[in-house]
Amino acid sequence: MGADDEFYVRYYSGHTGRYGHEFLEFEFRGDGMCRYANNSQYRNDSLIRKEMHLSPTMLKELKRIIEDSEIMKEDDNQWPRKNVVGRQELEIRFGNEHISFETAKLQSLGEVQESNDPDGLRAFYYLVQDLKCLIFSLISLHFKIKPI
Amino acid sequence: MTEHESTIDLNPAADEIIDDSMAVDDAPAVKRKGRGFASTAESRVSNKYDSYDRMDEDSTVQVSTNAQRSVEGWIVVVTGVHEEADEEAVTEKFAEYGEIKNLHLNLDRRTGYVKGYALIEYETYKEAKTAIDSANNTQFYEQTIHVDFTFVRPPEGSGRQPDRRDSRRRQRSASPGKRW
Repeated sequence: MGADDEFYVRYYSGHTGRYGHEFLEFEFRGDGMCRYANNSQYRNDSLIRKEMHLSPTMLKELKRIIEDSEIMKEDDNQWPRKNVVGRQELEIRFGNEHISFETAKLQSLGEVQESNDPDGLRAFYYLVQDLKCLIFSLISLHFKIKPI
Repeated sequence: MTEHESTIDLNPAADEIIDDSMAVDDAPAVKRKGRGFASTAESRVSNKYDSYDRMDEDSTVQVSTNAQRSVEGWIVVVTGVHEEADEEAVTEKFAEYGEIKNLHLNLDRRTGYVKGYALIEYETYKEAKTAIDSANNTQFYEQTIHVDFTFVRPPEGSGRQPDRRDSRRRQRSASPGKRW
């Protein structure tokens, strides 16, 4: 597999607080492997870890979603820095481009609009929601559990 | 002390491994961008835990493809779904091949229109396979849709052998800030 075909996506959102290290993280690999981990001490004290393998058709759709978001054109240098509330990370390797963005948790679209880079942050904000929506569907259909 | 160090170390053994040969994984031509590369944030999710839950092989169902069964049935993915298609139209088209147990027609969070894919659950392999064979590469809302199984069985060699499977990549998480 050449560099042009390299593909990897990882999203992390988490913080360390009263209930320890609470986070949600998932990744998609170019070979179709998809992993999900969610650790919330509050009410649900177990770590959820799920693994699936996606068909090429499903993987292709994921790539389309990422391409359409134009996230690879953005840069996180003007985005809010991680803080006590927590942080989000989005790492994507797509062909010869590799991004690893880090920012604060975004509670609302208002925060996005008021930031120094509303257009870029909006691309991030909506892509993250679309990716979460996809993986929650995959997990709930495959395992019949509510992932969060 | 970084934020990372203050959290629970999920893989203490990794800290003792120093392997600079793993430091650079990207080819020189790869363009990197983002603060995440400089941060000492945790390594890839797959490095952190020994084992993940996955669906067990269902030996009672003999199938000729590498499709993977889900807990209650077979999940079909439809791509190329027109943004103005609705659940009713998707249901009408795909109920033709079997009883739809579940349908996820997710929306684009920005536009509110259909994102472009649908996930459909059928109870039996036969129904799912019929849907795929019949509807793949057909027109729906004047767009060509692609229909396939959503999940496949893990490729050979990625079985339940967490220790062996993870040992190589675990070393990569050793040097902070050099996650790839």
